[in-house]
Amino acid sequence: MTEARRNAAVSTGPCRTLVLGIAGMAVLLGGCVTARLEQEKSAATGIMDGEAVVVMARSYHLGNETERGFTDCVGDELGNGRTGLAVMPDEQFVDALFPWLEPRTAPAETKALQRFMQRPGVRDRIRDSGVRYIVWLDGDTERTGGGGSLSCAAGPGGGGCFGFAWWENEANYEASIWDLKELKSAGSVKADVSGTSYLPAIVIPVPLIARTKTAACKNLAGRLRSFIADTGTTG
Amino acid sequence: MTGRLSATVAVVLTALAIAGCSNQVALRNPTLPDPLLNQLPLKVAVRYSPEMSNYVHEEEVLGRQKWTINLGEANKLAFRHLFGSMFSEVVEVDAETGAETVGADALIEASIEAFEFALPAQSRSDAYTIWIRYRLRIFDAAGTEISNWPIAAYGKAGSEGMFSADESLARAAVLAMRDAAAMIGLRFARETGLGDPGGNAVPAGGGEEAEERLNARTDKQPAAEEPADVAANTGNTARGDFTDDRG
Repeated sequence: MTEARRNAAVSTGPCRTLVLGIAGMAVLLGGCVTARLEQEKSAATGIMDGEAVVVMARSYHLGNETERGFTDCVGDELGNGRTGLAVMPDEQFVDALFPWLEPRTAPAETKALQRFMQRPGVRDRIRDSGVRYIVWLDGDTERTGGGGSLSCAAGPGGGGCFGFAWWENEANYEASIWDLKELKSAGSVKADVSGTSYLPAIVIPVPLIARTKTAACKNLAGRLRSFIADTGTTG
Repeated sequence: MTGRLSATVAVVLTALAIAGCSNQVALRNPTLPDPLLNQLPLKVAVRYSPEMSNYVHEEEVLGRQKWTINLGEANKLAFRHLFGSMFSEVVEVDAETGAETVGADALIEASIEAFEFALPAQSRSDAYTIWIRYRLRIFDAAGTEISNWPIAAYGKAGSEGMFSADESLARAAVLAMRDAAAMIGLRFARETGLGDPGGNAVPAGGGEEAEERLNARTDKQPAAEEPADVAANTGNTARGDFTDDRG
């Protein structure tokens, strides 16, 4: 190895450590997230062996914009862990009841549940699936603000960024829980989460990302799990 | 060696540049689930227009990207599956064969009249949306037209992930086909007077909101005979020239 190459090799050591350190800090610090959960329980719940839950987004014909990934996240979180509930994949449930849960045909209110159950074959399919609760998700995550400035430049001798940027996301979701055994609403859980992400840069940008949607998903799923599993009507 | 490498890089960059301006979406013959419908005791002849078997939509969006959406024979397969579940007997016939020739109770002539789509950049949302307008002309056993039924179907899929545009559009197309199938399944008897109008139809009582959404069309101009509250329900599905021109 020539002298020049040896020097270069020596100088990459601290650089790599610095980069890894900054990346590690970014992951550890993250942005600021605040969450508020509200629930309203109007009927006794509880779930027995052999009973399952299905998580679905409300129809886009009703103006809902809930992201597919969010619905999947809540379903996964509900089923995770020692106290996880049995969760049926929503697509499987919708296919089994085709065409009665399509965006245009699905019941939008619990008062339509009685008729829904009287459709040809619907009651039998639901009984066979074991689904006791439908959790309807409504809401989305939006960017509500942001600012700052960041500029980057690169030249023959290297490059870098300088500046500071921030942005704020708000995740507002509501889950309505329908009891298919009692044919009525059991209540709802609301999650309002806001998160501010920062991107300071002195040569290297250090993203401090607030995982707003993930926080909303985990908080909502955690509360839904206890809402459904805990018997009683106390909201 | 360097020359060959440069040539390879140039070819790759050119291919990437071309690919960047052209998007291909192909539907791999999705299947509809078996519908939960009371089967109508009818022998029905079905005739598909040529584009139902091979539908390709090409459009240049915002003067830059060219999109090619190839639905192939997905529409025909979806309708074939639906009709097979809806009626006790189905016979496919060609353009020259009438219902009376095969001893059918009715003849359905299915076609696609219009297709539109919107990208997130156009709709200023995160969604990919597809509108398909089908038309079913239905003739009775004597060959008299008893219904000329436009079906404006709508599908919407979110954009998630970096490379999901084609997947999202394909999903939106499947949702639009399911939307059409749901409408046909639930409305056929009522639209045509054939079979049992009460069997699968959304009832007048207890299912008003579902009835409204079934009535919801994808046009911007409410039809004269339609109540204002139903017309208002079409807001988020409005698109282009999707007017309900019942022939």
